Amino acid sequence: MNEKAAIPREVTRVNKHDIKIIWSDNHESVFIARDLRLRCQCAQCVEEMTGRKLLDPSTVPLEVKPNEIKLVGRYAIQIWWSDGHSSGIFPFVFLRNLDTEMKKLASQKFEI
Amino acid sequence: MSKVTNEIVLKALANVIDPELKKDVVSLGFVKNLDIEDGRVSCQIAVATSAAPVKDKLKQQAVGHLLEIPGVKEAYVEMLTHVRNTSPANTPIPGIKNIIPISSAKGGVGKSTVSANLAMALSKKGAKVGLMDADIYGPSIPTLLNITESPTPKENNVIIPVEKYGIKVMSMGFFLPQDKAVIWRGPMLNKMITQFLKGVEWGELDYLLIDLPPGTGDVQLTLCQQVPLTGAVIVSTPQAVALNIAKKGMAMFQQLNCPIIGVIENMSYYQIPNGEKDYIFGESGAKKFAEELQLPFLGEIPIATTIRKQSDEGVPIVEADIDSPHAQAFVTAAENLASQVEAMHTSGDVPQEIKLTF
Repeated sequence: MNEKAAIPREVTRVNKHDIKIIWSDNHESVFIARDLRLRCQCAQCVEEMTGRKLLDPSTVPLEVKPNEIKLVGRYAIQIWWSDGHSSGIFPFVFLRNLDTEMKKLASQKFEI
Repeated sequence: MSKVTNEIVLKALANVIDPELKKDVVSLGFVKNLDIEDGRVSCQIAVATSAAPVKDKLKQQAVGHLLEIPGVKEAYVEMLTHVRNTSPANTPIPGIKNIIPISSAKGGVGKSTVSANLAMALSKKGAKVGLMDADIYGPSIPTLLNITESPTPKENNVIIPVEKYGIKVMSMGFFLPQDKAVIWRGPMLNKMITQFLKGVEWGELDYLLIDLPPGTGDVQLTLCQQVPLTGAVIVSTPQAVALNIAKKGMAMFQQLNCPIIGVIENMSYYQIPNGEKDYIFGESGAKKFAEELQLPFLGEIPIATTIRKQSDEGVPIVEADIDSPHAQAFVTAAENLASQVEAMHTSGDVPQEIKLTF
């Protein structure tokens, strides 16, 4: 991925839950609020040394949503979630890779 | 006689080339307040902090080209110093146009000496400059600038920086007796860096240079998280042992989306009295390093007794004797720094503002 692709032009929302990012290469990503909350990489949610997941998904309400988002310098966003959690920083590179990963998963869906 | 129009005048001025940016002053957008009245043309040309001789030359050229236009009898050109803004509109400290950390990751390569002299060189070229000493554990700027007074606190926890040699200065050293040490963990460092950035009345600044501590830790991270940085300057000695660590510093900035403005080589050589240069730490190590990584090389600073002596006396060489060759080495690096920042605008490399509509 080219370096500049991982820089957003705009961070906004699609509805009261989900976050939309318009990237500098005009690509658009939509992140489902709860999916993103569950992927929080902060030290409370993921064990720093081992990478073991500490967050129990059953403790995150289904209707969790971001109450506030702030820019972290030029490389990330920090999200204040409705479940009271706010220590996660989501780097743009992480979000852009997540977008690619989600697209890959979506295209691998089985036909029933 | 044909009428002198804006178009004709701008076409004539398009022959004036900025020697640092290698583009004409019209397409760079430097021409301002153009006024034409009965064969009398006046305008202003705003250039980034250029050396005075360059400015005079540009002025002469501009006047020359204007007078060549048929119908122009008088031409007046005023040269202005103009530093453009790389901070996005939603920056938390709006008065500061460019925030530039000086990093080496390795200790002892002369970051503070370089930072102080660069700040002063930029200031002497007409820019408004601030210098923030972010080395909380080992602040050197108060010694380098011989500052003994403390900054004035204001209401709302705001601090007014100390002014010395024309620059605004903030340092942890102002708040602590020399024989006391700061023994803090990360969260306190973060608090102090945030205070230095947002709780200091910097006012309007063209450049805020930040003298970083060694390493790639709390201070560096907080800095990159709190404010949108223009770009980092990497300082290194020519040795592999310093360059390898400098590389780590660079990697950190790149990971945090902070551009690298360029590399300054410190302690490049020692000039022996017979005029020969002794490359104590190897020849042009940092220069080659910059070339390899395709980074701009901003300049080389020799290792010299006068630089050390002036620093220890609290009157850095640029302040003490700006015409001396050693001071000029810093001045050249400062000029290159200014034009690289300016070039970010012309090449479209200024990081775009990220709109947050939430």
